[in-house]
Amino acid sequence: MSLIYLDNAATSFPKPEDTYVFMDRFYRSHGVNPGRSGYDLCMEAGQLVDDTRKLLTAFFNGTDPNRLVFSYNSTDALNLALFGMIGRGDHVVTTALEHNAVLRPLHHLSVEGGVEVEHVPFDARGFVDPGEIARRFKANTRLVAVNHASNVIGTVQPIAEIGRLCRERDIRLVVDASQTAGKLPIDVQAMNIDVLAFTGHKSLMGPTGIGGMYVREGVEIRHTRAGGTGVRSAQRSHLDEYPWRLEYGTPNVVGIAGLHAGLKWILERGLASIEAHEMRLLRMLVEGLRAVAGVTLYCQDDLADHIAVMIFNIDGFEAGDTGTVLDVDHDIACRTGLHCAPRVHEQIGTDRIHGAVRLGIGPFNTDDHIAAAIRAVREIAASRARA
Amino acid sequence: MPTIELNGTTYAVDDDGFLEDPAIWNDRVAADLALTERIETLTDDQWKVVRYLRTYYLEFGIAPMIRKLCKETGFKLAQIYEMFPSGPAKGACKVAGLPKPTGCV
Repeated sequence: MSLIYLDNAATSFPKPEDTYVFMDRFYRSHGVNPGRSGYDLCMEAGQLVDDTRKLLTAFFNGTDPNRLVFSYNSTDALNLALFGMIGRGDHVVTTALEHNAVLRPLHHLSVEGGVEVEHVPFDARGFVDPGEIARRFKANTRLVAVNHASNVIGTVQPIAEIGRLCRERDIRLVVDASQTAGKLPIDVQAMNIDVLAFTGHKSLMGPTGIGGMYVREGVEIRHTRAGGTGVRSAQRSHLDEYPWRLEYGTPNVVGIAGLHAGLKWILERGLASIEAHEMRLLRMLVEGLRAVAGVTLYCQDDLADHIAVMIFNIDGFEAGDTGTVLDVDHDIACRTGLHCAPRVHEQIGTDRIHGAVRLGIGPFNTDDHIAAAIRAVREIAASRARA
Repeated sequence: MPTIELNGTTYAVDDDGFLEDPAIWNDRVAADLALTERIETLTDDQWKVVRYLRTYYLEFGIAPMIRKLCKETGFKLAQIYEMFPSGPAKGACKVAGLPKPTGCV
């Protein structure tokens, strides 16, 4: 039996064949340090980096490709943004839906950096009320950090409305688009996003080790690192100009090549087509699991404004054990535990039972995969009922 | 050091209830430890799992991987959970007198 991969919320797998082929071909032919020298191959490698900036900028409807900076992943980008935008005496509003990529930097800024952080809870359906965020605003509120879609319960937050409220008060909005970039349309202008952090290895169909952020013109992020940029080497201090301001050392050129290929693959198929496929499978999965006795779903009553990510538990069986049985007996890969988002589990109460089982659907999943997952959960639940 | 009393015998155990000294294990100890899994009498199937784990541990010094346990005993993992409610690591390995597994099962 071959593995049924339903851990796409952790990373997409497999990648499109185009990603593998292009990375291999590009790294063999252009694996030099891009933009550091004047020979043709170096310039060509640099061109791919620039082309990918332009592609991603257009994809997010940004206005200046130089403000599309590459990083290792979302966490890296969010660290650069948060540590570079706020400081002692500032007030930050975030939500209980956040991943540790936001929670932990803000925790350290709170404990060690004199930043006041408030976490807005979500409602019973899994959505944050923009009005509740606005009610937390104070004179010293500098920034709001919000997950576009929860990596646990899959709910998509009303970013445009949150952005509008932030813009009215000249408060910066940082959006963690780890789960949505490549899954849902994102328009940084229409959604009033100041900083959009994304990772390449999930729905953008690139490899691990590459991500980035788009920083709106007029928004400044202090550089909290310094190093080589490949330009103006005589300058003692790190460059202020974007993208170098937030890029340090040799870029992950093979990762950027993979991201380039992954994004092109998405553009060829169309976001709407991919989303429709994944959401159809999610509805099939949720309907199937709802009918299984002893299974509890969380925030899945209404699948409007959702991405194809969901969690469940089987009564009397720890999530980790369910995941192990899914793997060993049924060859189904999933993610169990707290999913690096402990406050989500605290709010829905699953922290007390060591989390939940998460299934994340990707573009290569099929009806057969979902049917097999439903059968497997039904079998495990029946087995637990006998135990 | 924590201890646990089972059928009138006191055993030194770690914080998770695993035997401190795996060398004292024998069938009677297994039967006693099975009480911690609410098993009054070990069945043939349960003994099959316990003996496989014990034999593997004595040969390799660690617990086997779960897939190997299932393959070698012929049981699906769900069946092992039915036999040992705490599962292969926290339940079956404990009854087999192994130290608490850090990985594998």
